[in-house]
Amino acid sequence: MSENSIALIFACPLFGAVLCTFLGGAKRALCHPVAVVSLGGALWGGIETLRRVVASESHEISYLLGGWTLDSYPRGVGIEFRADLLGTLIMLVVIGVAFLVALYSKLTVSEETPEKEGPFYTLFLLQVTGLAGICLTGDAFNLYVLIEVAALTGYGLIAMGSARAAAATFNYVILGTIGASFYLLGVGYLYMKTGTLNMVGIQEVIVQQDLADSATMQVAFVFIGLGILIKMAFFPFHAWLPNAYSHAPTSTSCLLAPLVTKVMIYVMIRMTLTVFGVDFSFEETLWTKLLPWLVVVAIVCAATMALAQRDLKKMLTYLIVAEVGYMVGGVWIYNYYGLVGSIFHVISDACMTLCLFLGAGIILRKVGTSHFDGLKGLFRRMPLTMTGFFVGGFSIIGLPPTCGFFSKWYLITGGMLAERWEYVVALLFSTMVMVVLFFRLIERIHLAVKESGEEFGHGHGDLDLPENETRFDEAPLSMLIPLLLSAAVVLLIGIYNQDVVNLVESFLEPLNLPKGTDR
Amino acid sequence: MRKLAVAVVVLTGGLLLYAATDFAAWGDPESPASDSDVSKHFIAETGVDTEVPNMVTAVLADYRGFDTMFETVVIFIAGIAILAILKLTGKDATKTPGKRKDEVDDAPDLIVTHTVRLLVPIIQLFAFYVLAHGHVSPGGGFQGGVIMGASFILVALAWDLPRAMDRLSVDRAILLAGVGILIYAGIGLLAMFLGGEFLDYAELSTIFPVSREMARYHAMLGVEIGVAFTVTTVMFAIYASLSSKGRLEGGL
Repeated sequence: MSENSIALIFACPLFGAVLCTFLGGAKRALCHPVAVVSLGGALWGGIETLRRVVASESHEISYLLGGWTLDSYPRGVGIEFRADLLGTLIMLVVIGVAFLVALYSKLTVSEETPEKEGPFYTLFLLQVTGLAGICLTGDAFNLYVLIEVAALTGYGLIAMGSARAAAATFNYVILGTIGASFYLLGVGYLYMKTGTLNMVGIQEVIVQQDLADSATMQVAFVFIGLGILIKMAFFPFHAWLPNAYSHAPTSTSCLLAPLVTKVMIYVMIRMTLTVFGVDFSFEETLWTKLLPWLVVVAIVCAATMALAQRDLKKMLTYLIVAEVGYMVGGVWIYNYYGLVGSIFHVISDACMTLCLFLGAGIILRKVGTSHFDGLKGLFRRMPLTMTGFFVGGFSIIGLPPTCGFFSKWYLITGGMLAERWEYVVALLFSTMVMVVLFFRLIERIHLAVKESGEEFGHGHGDLDLPENETRFDEAPLSMLIPLLLSAAVVLLIGIYNQDVVNLVESFLEPLNLPKGTDR
Repeated sequence: MRKLAVAVVVLTGGLLLYAATDFAAWGDPESPASDSDVSKHFIAETGVDTEVPNMVTAVLADYRGFDTMFETVVIFIAGIAILAILKLTGKDATKTPGKRKDEVDDAPDLIVTHTVRLLVPIIQLFAFYVLAHGHVSPGGGFQGGVIMGASFILVALAWDLPRAMDRLSVDRAILLAGVGILIYAGIGLLAMFLGGEFLDYAELSTIFPVSREMARYHAMLGVEIGVAFTVTTVMFAIYASLSSKGRLEGGL
């Protein structure tokens, strides 16, 4: 059974999703436990896979779907799942985050989308199937199919939200489709020039036939890169993200916000390192010269727009856009430590974004609005929730010992060693903005409610009574525990950062990336 | 804004033309896509590996069967998502809406209904033919499923939605779509439990009295049937809920 642990990762949520469809009618109360159990199974498969990857000599495992094994058939005849350290780490983050969100989702799903638990959990589990599959697949076209699975479920999950979610989803559908089309066109060109869809196979042909000068390959690189940048909401292409994530149902935004953009950054790293290869991506294209400057624009603009928001959820969505800039920059400054930082930041950003969105979901449910005016005095009401939320916030700012500090440290180190000072300045500027943002929030949340004449959270139950505003009124345990767990993960990854970095380094070490001038 | 859009279009078009300068020659047998080990294996060995004469089906349902499973899941997702978004819940569901402006009361047209009565059995029979011959001639689960789904939509067009839903209600359609996924992924899982990798159909020969190649042959028909279930039912479910704005009633 152990060699099939990779299959469990996608099979558990897939069968869970079908089961949720069957239960969707009269027995829809069972959908939530089914989702939790099937993600638990996937988590077990994921941990088992990581254990095997670390134990194996080459730090990678091949799983040939359909039994088209490499010793009897040419590479690329069947579809290959390749679990290496990079993919396995991101896959574990995906399933871990999804597991916590599934635990958290019980109340919000039955309140926000009543009678639709069946379809909700079906789409939820298929989303996880798609995202986890993206992290493991070793086939460029299979990656496209799984991106489509993840994208379509995302559209459905977002559109189930408020009335305004439908319009936001429509934007997302259009931009998402454009991004996917660019990617598919690029893969088509790759197949035309190399004759294979297997990622390792493509890389082999590029090296053997020295395809770096080929116009088709250069355009393929541009199209694939552009498609992924649109999908990850990199700054000028970010327009779909803020509305889609802020109008989506709470559990949807908790699942999508930490994962989708991060998995797309993983795809970019995979494409540059494994498919096109280091020499092609960094030496033969203009991206290393161009992208860091675009990243500077992206980070500065997104951080400034976050500063202008008066709504908690909206503000968090702009933070995601800024963080995407960090990670894209970490890749394209073309430095070993920059890439370590980028990969580590994918992991830590997923955890801290999860933490913030789980907290924002609780606030939205308790206060009825996520506008800043509703936040006054919330610390007295929900001290545990707010503590969890702040851990996420401190990590976004980059305060030790949270994981955000360490990943940002690597990014800045990489920027300095590569002498891309514009990137370092943008990172520091954005950090300052985050400090302002979160200390402004902390001030508001700690503020005791004195001004009795002042109204906020208009018309939301007992909030109109002044003495109730500061009453102890903690979130339900089913929502609080996942939040505190995610906060604990943010701290633990920070404290044990060296272990995670060691895994990332043993993936990057063989690639011979430049380590900067001083070392 | 408009100028910017034109600039983007021109730039993309330019890139496409630039890429075309380096394409392999038209129909070149030496081009990488025709000459690679993978293509040569498909052309030479498909019959040996799977006993299936139709190379396209073998690539689609066996060599790259994992892709096709997720393509089927994509169709399933589309059905689930559209129903979930349009489904009326709570008091909207019980409210009887007024007649739409474009709705007519006329009884179904005699000529149309009689023609459809004659056509539907033939269409459905043809759907089964396309499905069952997928691995011998052009056809397969997607095509057969679409033809089958069209026959139900034709009934809804000729009479009205309730008449078609007497035969296949939307709730049942979504259940059957799930059954389709279950058939496909279930065959994959069964192969895994019999000792192979996920979707390694050859392992099915340990429980069925056929050779490893014929096990692949028959399993391909099995997964195509799963695909057909999903495609048929999702086609009809999407039509039913889009055409009636989620109310699932009324005529055209």
